[in-house]
Amino acid sequence: MPRVSLNQTAPNFSLPDFSGNEFTLADLNGKKIVLLVFNRTFA
Amino acid sequence: MAQLRHDHTEFVARDVAVVVVGPENAQGFADYWQKERLPFIGLPDPKASVLKLYGQEVNIFKLGRMPAQVLIDKTGFARFVHYGHDMSDIPSNQEILALVDELNNPNSIT
Repeated sequence: MPRVSLNQTAPNFSLPDFSGNEFTLADLNGKKIVLLVFNRTFA
Repeated sequence: MAQLRHDHTEFVARDVAVVVVGPENAQGFADYWQKERLPFIGLPDPKASVLKLYGQEVNIFKLGRMPAQVLIDKTGFARFVHYGHDMSDIPSNQEILALVDELNNPNSIT
């Protein structure tokens, strides 16, 4: 399974948030630092 | 997640967008976000497309996906990558905030 490499461009992706609004990572380029958290489960 | 909520204002003050990706569906996210009053972005990924893209590990002996964190600067580069080996293997918010401070002020001496 691929892993993200340090100091390389983070892979872009788009997903709808839980309200249905489309989120695209690249839209934050030049605007925000992003902390991407991969959760396991809410249980 | 509670710790992230607790320190969310610290992240916002540093121009950080906190984005949580998980395997639950939209309803699962919506219920949890409402219950825990979470202020950050929640992205359901039940097909695991982004989870696979970023290589989140699955450990069948530890009952599922391991936590992972990626800090991405404003140019889109990954500046911190952490793949947890178990559920408690999560960097502290203070550690991440210190890295954010370095990104925001690369000439600072810490």
